[in-house]
Amino acid sequence: MGPLLMPNLRVCLQHFLPVLSRRNVLNLSHKNVSQCFKVGGVNTFCTKNINNHAVDKRKAFKSRDFAIKERPVFPKSVFAAGTARRTAELMKKKAGFSDTDEPSDYSRKRHAAEIPDRPLTSSEWKRMKEGSERPDRFVLRMMEGMLSASADINIAKSLLAYVAVDTGTVPYELLLRYLTLCVNDGHWDEMYDVYDIMKSRFRSLDTGAYSLLVKGFSKTERWKETLVLLENINKIITPSPRNYANAIAAAMKHGSSATGWTLYNQLLEKGISPNQDTWRYLFEGGVSDHKYDDELLSILQHMRDNQIYPDELLANTIRKWFESRPDQKWIGGISIVNPSGVCRSCGSELESIQLTDEDYADLKDSVMKNVIKGIDVFKKTTPEELENFKGFVSKRPPFDVVIDGLNVANTLSRGNESETLLAVVSEFSQQGLSILVLGRKHMLYSTRSWNRHHMKQIQQKAHCFFTENISEDDPFLLYATLHSGNHCNFVSRDLMRDHKACLPDGRTKRLFFKWQRGHQLVLSSFIPGKMVRFQRIQSYDTIIQTNTKSWHIPYDAVGVERCTYEVPEKWLCLTTSN
Amino acid sequence: MRFVKSLLNELRPHCHSLLPRLNVNKRYLPALECSGSSLNPFQTPVRSLCTSWPKWKDAPQPKDLESEKLDLDIWKSVMRSQVAHEETPRDSDDDGALGETGVMSKDSPLGATRELVEMWQQAGKRVPENITDEQLEIVAEHSTKSAKKKYLKFLAIKEGYKKGNKEKQEKKRIERLSEREETSKEEDDESSSKLRNSFLLPFWQRSFDKLLGWQSAQAMRFGQPLVFDMSYELQMTPRERENTISQLLESEGSNRRSVEPFHLHFCNLNPEGAYHKELLKRYSTETWENLMITASPQRPIDMFSHDQLVYLTADSPNVLRTFDHNKVYIIGALVDRSNLPGVSLANAKRLKLATARLPLDEHLRWECGAKNLTLDQMFRILWTVKQTGSWVEALKFVPQRKHAGSPAKKDSNDYKGAERRPTVPQKKFISKQQHSRGAVEGKTPLESPIATLLKTKIAVRSDTHKARKNWWEQD
Repeated sequence: MGPLLMPNLRVCLQHFLPVLSRRNVLNLSHKNVSQCFKVGGVNTFCTKNINNHAVDKRKAFKSRDFAIKERPVFPKSVFAAGTARRTAELMKKKAGFSDTDEPSDYSRKRHAAEIPDRPLTSSEWKRMKEGSERPDRFVLRMMEGMLSASADINIAKSLLAYVAVDTGTVPYELLLRYLTLCVNDGHWDEMYDVYDIMKSRFRSLDTGAYSLLVKGFSKTERWKETLVLLENINKIITPSPRNYANAIAAAMKHGSSATGWTLYNQLLEKGISPNQDTWRYLFEGGVSDHKYDDELLSILQHMRDNQIYPDELLANTIRKWFESRPDQKWIGGISIVNPSGVCRSCGSELESIQLTDEDYADLKDSVMKNVIKGIDVFKKTTPEELENFKGFVSKRPPFDVVIDGLNVANTLSRGNESETLLAVVSEFSQQGLSILVLGRKHMLYSTRSWNRHHMKQIQQKAHCFFTENISEDDPFLLYATLHSGNHCNFVSRDLMRDHKACLPDGRTKRLFFKWQRGHQLVLSSFIPGKMVRFQRIQSYDTIIQTNTKSWHIPYDAVGVERCTYEVPEKWLCLTTSN
Repeated sequence: MRFVKSLLNELRPHCHSLLPRLNVNKRYLPALECSGSSLNPFQTPVRSLCTSWPKWKDAPQPKDLESEKLDLDIWKSVMRSQVAHEETPRDSDDDGALGETGVMSKDSPLGATRELVEMWQQAGKRVPENITDEQLEIVAEHSTKSAKKKYLKFLAIKEGYKKGNKEKQEKKRIERLSEREETSKEEDDESSSKLRNSFLLPFWQRSFDKLLGWQSAQAMRFGQPLVFDMSYELQMTPRERENTISQLLESEGSNRRSVEPFHLHFCNLNPEGAYHKELLKRYSTETWENLMITASPQRPIDMFSHDQLVYLTADSPNVLRTFDHNKVYIIGALVDRSNLPGVSLANAKRLKLATARLPLDEHLRWECGAKNLTLDQMFRILWTVKQTGSWVEALKFVPQRKHAGSPAKKDSNDYKGAERRPTVPQKKFISKQQHSRGAVEGKTPLESPIATLLKTKIAVRSDTHKARKNWWEQD
C-alpha cells in the first residue's frame, strides 16, 4: 500500500495546490464582503458562505475519489456481474444522494391505515363510506388497501356483504380484488366459491382473473382445472410465461410429468420464452422421474445457445437433478474460474473466448453491413469518408491495438486531454505495438485541451485517422479492429451497447458480445506520468459448457444485480467419475 | 310597415342580427338529441350489471340496525340467487340474441377482441366505452397484451377529451341560447329599437379571410420561403404521422393568420404517400387545392439554389446566430416519439446542405427533455425571429417545462459567454430588419395596382397587428 499511496499524494498536491490557494483567496474576499454587508443587515450573502461549504465538500469528494480509484490492484472487469450496479451506487454517493429516500406509494399506505381491524356491520361500513373523501370509489379503495396490508379475509367478506345488501349485487371489479386477496393469502375454499360465482354470473372472465385463478388452482388439489383455465386464456390472448410456469408447477408437483412436458412443448411452439421458474419445476420433477432426462439436457443446450444464465435457485435444482441421476455418480460443487480459464474445483480448462474463423467472418460482415452502413450511411458518416477510411486501413499493416482517442482522453475528469491520450499511446508504443488512434478533426485545432505538440507526438507514435466532427467514431473503431484480425484489441470505456443493438439477430449479438469481452481493453487505473494499467481480458468464455465428463454452468448468485452486458462470475461445476 | 319589413329581410343576412343564427341552432337541435340515443350500435348485448340492477329484496334484510348479526357469506347467496333469478327470464327471449353473439364471437375474428375489451372494462382497466370496428382491428393486430392495453388506454383518453369538449360545447350552447332569449325579449319589449344603430360597417370574417388570402398570395410571390421536408413518412409510425400532420396544419394556420407570412413549401411530398392522404383527410380536397402554399414532390435543391438552403436540425454542430432573410430554411417534417437521432442531419449531409440548430443553449438554460421541438413551435420561433429579430422573443415558444429561463438573468459567473453573445447580433439584426421594411415601403419599383394594394394592406396590417398581436394566445 505504501508505494501506491506515495504517488497518490504527489498527484493530489500537484493537482490541487494551485487550485486550493486560489480558492482560499476567493474565500477570504467573500468573507470580508459578507461581513461588511452583514452589518447592514443583508442576509443574502449567507448563501455565499454555504457555497463555500459546498466547494469544500466537493474537494473532499475529489480527494476521496482518488483514493477509491486506486485501491484495488486488479479491479473487476466492466463485464463482471454487479459492476455497473456498484459503480452507480458509488456515483450516487458521490453526488450526495442517499439510498434511503425511495419513493413510496403514499395513497396506498394511507388507505391501509384506514382499514378497520375487525369485520364491520353494514351500518358501520355505511357510516365509514359517508365519512370518506370519495364515496364512489370508497369500496374499491378499501379492498385495495386490504390487499396491500394483507388484512384478515373476514373484514373483506364483511365489506362484500355490505355491498351486496346495499346495492343488490357485487360488481366485477370488486370481486376481482377479492379474488386477488383469496389467492394471495391462500384461502382456497373462498377462491372456489368466487370462481363459481364469477363463472355463473358473467359470460367470460378477463385475463387478469384467469391468471389469478391459474395461480390459485395450481396450488390446490383441483390443479387439473388450470389446464381448462389456460385454454380459456389461450382463446383470448397468448398466455404469459408465468401462466405456463404455474400450470407446469402444478403438474410436476402432482406427479404428472407427462402433462408438464406437454405444456412445456406447447409453450415452445407458441414462441414464448420460458422463465426460470418453469425450468426449475421441470428439473424438480426430473429428480424423482428420470424419464425425461434427454429433454432436460436439451434445456441446458437451449440455455447455452441463447446465452441464458440460471439463477441460484435453478442452479441448485440442476445440481440436485444431476446428483440424483442413477448410475452416473455426478458430483456438484460451487466454483470460481482462474483468470487463466481453469476451473478451481475440477481443474479442467474452459472454452476459449476466441471466436472461430467462421464466426469471426460472420461478425465482421455483419458489423460492416449493419453497424457502419445501417439503413442510412449518412446517419453515422458519409460514403466518401467511409471509402477514405477503408483505403486508409487497407494501405497500412494490421494494427495490434486501436484506440478510441476521445474516450481515452476523457478518462480523467480533469487534466489535459491530449496529455492523457499521449500517455496511453506511449505505453503501447513502448511495447512495440502497431497502434491506430481514432479521433475527430477538432482534436487537431490546437486548443487548450488539445495541445499541438502532444498531438504531433501522438501522430509520430501511431497511425491516426480523424473523422468529421459530426461523424461517429465508434463504428470506425469496430471496423478497424475487426479488419486487423483476431489478435487486435481496442481501447475504450464505451460498452458499445448502441452498436450491438444495430445487429440484426440474437446470434450475431451474442457473437459480438463474446468478441467484445475478448478484445476490449478498459483503462482501470491511470496516473499521469506514472501508471497506465488495463483491466484484464478474460481468456475463457462464460457460457454453459460440457465435455463428456463434466458440466460447467455459470449462474447468477443471489443478491448480485447483473446487467444484460455483464456475465456472472460464479460457476456450478459438475463432474462424473463414470 | 311593409317596406320596413322587406328592408329588414334584406338586411338580415348582412348584419349581426341574432335571428338567423337562432334558426340555425334550432335546426341542429334534433340531431344532437338523437346522437345521444344511438351511442353504440356495435355493442353486443351484455347483461346489465351492477348499475341497473334492482335492489335485492328477497335476501334476508337486516331488521334491527343495532343488533344486526354479521353474516359474512351473505353476498354469495345474493349473487347466486341473482343468477337463478336472471336465467329464468333470459331463457325465453334470449335465444336469438345469445345465438347472435355466439355466432359473432366465433365467426368474426373481432368477436374475441371485443369480448376482451369488454371484460377489461369491467375489470376497471382504462378502456374506451365505445369502440369502432376499425379500432378493434388495430387492437387485434397488436400482438402483445401490453401493446393492446396501451392502445386502448390511448383511445380511452382520447374519448375522455372528446366527451369533455362536447359537454363544454353543450353548456356554452345552452348559455348562449338563454342569453339570446333574454335579449330577444328585451327587443320585443321595445319594438321600436329593432333596427340597430350601427353607423360603422361590421368587419366580416369573410373579408378577413379575404385579406389573409391576399396576404398569403403576396407571400407566395414575394415572401421568404420556408420549406417543410416531407420525406420522412416511412420512418414513422401511423400515429406519429398523424401528429406530424396536425403540427403542420397548426403551422400553416398560424402562418396564414400572421403578418408577413412565410411562403410555405411542402417539398418531397409524395402524391401517393401517407402524408398526402392524411393532408387530404384533414383539409378537405377542395381546401387543400386552394391552399396558399406550394406543395411539390420535388426536392428542395431542385427548387432553390444550393447555397441559399439551410437545413435546421437539432443535431447540427452549427448554431444559427442571426436569421438571414435571404436564406431558405428547411424544417424536417418528422415527429420522433421513438428515438430517431440524426435522421434529418443524415438527410442534410446527403444533399450536402448547410445545417444549423437554434441557439437554445446560448439563450436558455436547458433543464430536461430533448432539444427537438414540435413543428409549430419551430414555425413560431422562426416567424418571430424574422419579425422581431430577437431570439429572446422567439425562444419564448420553447416549452417552459424544458428550461429555466435565460441565463442572463441568473448570476453571471457560470454563463459569461452566453450572456455576452445575444446582445451583439440582436442590434445588428434590428437594423437589418428596418432596412428590409424600408425596402418594401419605399424603394421597390412596383407597378401601380399592386403598389396601391400593398399600401392599403400595410395600413390594414398595422391595425390588425395591434388588434391581433398575440393571435396564438387566443387559440
